[in-house]
Amino acid sequence: MPYDKYETVIGLEIHVQLSTKSKAFCGDDTSFGGSPNTQVSTISLGHPGTLPRINKQQVAYAVRLGLALGSRINLRNTFDRKNYFYADLPKGYQITQDKAPICIGGTVPIRLDSGETKKIRIHHIHMEEDAGKLMHDSNAPVSLIDLNRAGVPLLEIVTEPDLRSAGEVDALMSGMRQLIRYLGISDGNMEQGSMRCDCNVSVRLRGASQLGQRCEIKNLNSMRYARRAIAYETRRQIDILETGGSISQQTLNFDPSSGTTSPLRDKEDAHDYRYFPEPDLPPLVLSESWIQHLQSEMPALPWDLFERFQTQYGLPAYDAELLTAEHTTALFFMDLCRHTQAYKAAANLIINKVLPFANENACTLDAFPIGLPALAEFIQLIEQGQVAAATAYQQLFPAMAEEPDKKPMHLAEALQLIQNSDADELEKWVSAVLEANPEEVSRYQKGKKGLLGFFMGEVMKQSKGKADPKLTTALLKRALDA
Amino acid sequence: MPKYNSLKDIQEAISKEATTCLEVVQYYLSQIKQQEHLNAYVAVYEEEALEKARQIDQKRRENPDQLGRLWGMVISHKDVICYKNHGVTAGSKILNGFTSLFSATALERVLAEDAIIIGRVNCDEFAMGSSNENSYYGPVRNAADVAKIPGGSSGGSAVSVQADTCLASLGTDTGGSVRQPAAFCGLVGFKPSYGRISRYGLLAYGSSFDQIGILSHSVSDVAILLEVMAGADEYDSTASQKPVPAYSQLLASAGKKRIAYFPIALEHSGLDPEIKSATQAFIQHLEAAGHEVLPVDFEYLDYIVPTYYVLTTAEASSNLSRYDGIRFGYRSENATDLISTYKKSRTEGFGNEVKRRIMLGTFVLSSGYYDAYYSKAQKARRLIQDRMAAIFQEFDFILMPTSPVAPWTIGEKLDDPVAVYLADIFTVQANLAGIPAISIPAGQHSYGLPIGVQLMAARFEEAALLAFAQGVAGGE
Repeated sequence: MPYDKYETVIGLEIHVQLSTKSKAFCGDDTSFGGSPNTQVSTISLGHPGTLPRINKQQVAYAVRLGLALGSRINLRNTFDRKNYFYADLPKGYQITQDKAPICIGGTVPIRLDSGETKKIRIHHIHMEEDAGKLMHDSNAPVSLIDLNRAGVPLLEIVTEPDLRSAGEVDALMSGMRQLIRYLGISDGNMEQGSMRCDCNVSVRLRGASQLGQRCEIKNLNSMRYARRAIAYETRRQIDILETGGSISQQTLNFDPSSGTTSPLRDKEDAHDYRYFPEPDLPPLVLSESWIQHLQSEMPALPWDLFERFQTQYGLPAYDAELLTAEHTTALFFMDLCRHTQAYKAAANLIINKVLPFANENACTLDAFPIGLPALAEFIQLIEQGQVAAATAYQQLFPAMAEEPDKKPMHLAEALQLIQNSDADELEKWVSAVLEANPEEVSRYQKGKKGLLGFFMGEVMKQSKGKADPKLTTALLKRALDA
Repeated sequence: MPKYNSLKDIQEAISKEATTCLEVVQYYLSQIKQQEHLNAYVAVYEEEALEKARQIDQKRRENPDQLGRLWGMVISHKDVICYKNHGVTAGSKILNGFTSLFSATALERVLAEDAIIIGRVNCDEFAMGSSNENSYYGPVRNAADVAKIPGGSSGGSAVSVQADTCLASLGTDTGGSVRQPAAFCGLVGFKPSYGRISRYGLLAYGSSFDQIGILSHSVSDVAILLEVMAGADEYDSTASQKPVPAYSQLLASAGKKRIAYFPIALEHSGLDPEIKSATQAFIQHLEAAGHEVLPVDFEYLDYIVPTYYVLTTAEASSNLSRYDGIRFGYRSENATDLISTYKKSRTEGFGNEVKRRIMLGTFVLSSGYYDAYYSKAQKARRLIQDRMAAIFQEFDFILMPTSPVAPWTIGEKLDDPVAVYLADIFTVQANLAGIPAISIPAGQHSYGLPIGVQLMAARFEEAALLAFAQGVAGGE
């Protein structure tokens, strides 16, 4: 099959579960992992006589995301009911925004493998509530319903069909996850279902301007599944077109065990959701001043920091990417840079030592045991050649973590890690080493230059590691090459 | 004649030591037993009511300054208003045995002012009906003629007051369900502006129309109950933030008013001649009192009932989706899987009128029909609202008959739902416009059944409306 003739066109519907304390339309707790049906109330159970009321935090979070993406914020929000029957949907309808979503337009930049940036257009973002969860017991003829999640606030981010590969989908999902974590509006945890996506996939001949007929693949709850589902679906659609068939618009389910997609339902018997305005919620009118207030509280965005870390701090893209992956890391780096000018050294320290240490000890960077001034001094000790880099990383850093109140200089002294750059003493060690190893000296002088490392090692042994390597090398060379 | 006509009567009698709160409740309980054949009640809270009466008598002796404003008030509540730890079934098999875990805000507020709730009263299933024949518990009978309907959907509410089993009743009014039974039973029936009383704890029928209303013998009882129940509620976003006037202190009617009436309504072919002449007599009564009563064109009269039924059934079809046999209420024994649980539970649990309206509402919201029905009805509603608002620029009130027809015989119109819908023609207007309206007694038919006339005011003009109604509700 000439698969290369075609390109894949993908649009996403990303569902983000917001990390508000309470649900979208009532006060129930939203934390993950509670015993089934313990985080419910008469409202989330849809008891007769109950009414929804809007959680303002949810709206603030939606606005924050819209501002980050450069969307137009809709000041007059209305809600609609999406009607369908399912066992996880207590009211028999979902409250959503069908006609007047809170954010319209905007773009999100994604970084491609080539290093280039591509802007993906956002169609709109709307607020809605989540449904509960069904658990099927294959050994029993029953399904169990957990309604803890019912009513948890969601944002649905709908993109334009701007993505061309699973790789781009991956980049967008990672970028979106990073962004919502920066904004503090969601933990973006795909395993716990805080972030899920539906993919609209179509194919067309390269160069064609018309979009092909699309199929929607539902509920991809990991990037691995999304990748496989897109790959399978692309081939499936091309195979149909190449054998003279046509694609029918369908909603598909991805089966991870077989790696295939299969129709959930045809468009013909698609749900008629009978959307209509939610009569229990009057239009929610947002003020310009509130939007401005939210704007003033916006954190720096990951893609801005990625740029700034390269331009302002002169870091390579690789470092900038690692340091901006999490907002706390980026903040930690910028804070550290207020105490030192050695930006690259600061980046190295965070990437190679601070992050692994925090990871192993399960501590957050906010609560990192070693203070920023101490870390800055640590960097200085290396930069000024007082402690060898390798020694500092291996011995001084753990010591600082043990005794965070002590000055690194004092710790280095106590551990006898301060490098000796006293030329006279070095000369003595060098001479002693050369005298003790006449055979190696003559081999070196006959051309076995690699032995320099051997002499270096011997000097280090003599000096118990305190010899300044640069100076020692110079002295050794002078003595040997004379 | 009722033993007590108003809360003032009861409070005076108790204050004069002529009776006690306990005796008042005992009297009403005995009346409930005597009038059982009317089928007004679905539950009587005998022990609780007696206990609360004893407490109030004690409070009156020991801490009279702590008495709530509604002490001595004995009320019934329609079976669509939630009362914590009490059943609520909307007159439906689908909720048979269901107990509410919370109280409606309005009910909380009357309880907090020492009202005594004596029982829960029958109604049309999910408040859908104008005759109280659509109840799982059977029809309610008009105390003036037990062969006749009491009106609906708050038929049990009306009869509970009419038959002197309580002083007042909390009903609900989506399209006339308080005013029409009040008219049929010779009572005052009042529906406030949309948003005046919280709907929290009211089982929804048509959410953008529903309001809790009051049935009583007197306008003054309407005023005091409204004063207590009205006002903002954090649990109902559609409840108005407007401050609540002291309605009960504002009942003195001031000056001459301008009142509009619609000749097209009085000339309507469906209008009963005796109701027509009673309305005309009422107009003369107003004119004689010095008020100005003028004819006004109203071109939308024939659109009112269709608009109302399209929109309320649409909302109802969604509101009633939660009754699915999964979490609470009736679940069919014959269900074998999810779909059959839905189908069988709802087929067996809902009555015919409810099913009819769910189907109608589902239809008008369906893709392909939405624009032709729901959208168009929304536009019609807007036109009606605008027209009404324009009339209230020039007039204080609008006067109309409450019902075009007299109470019919039980069973007579069961096969003609459209005829029953059309009988809502004069009451649904206030719900479409979200304005307050009150039905007051205006004489009797030659065969003895009561007639009511209706007054409407601009939105949130409850104070003026009640004061005027108090002034003109002759005989009181």
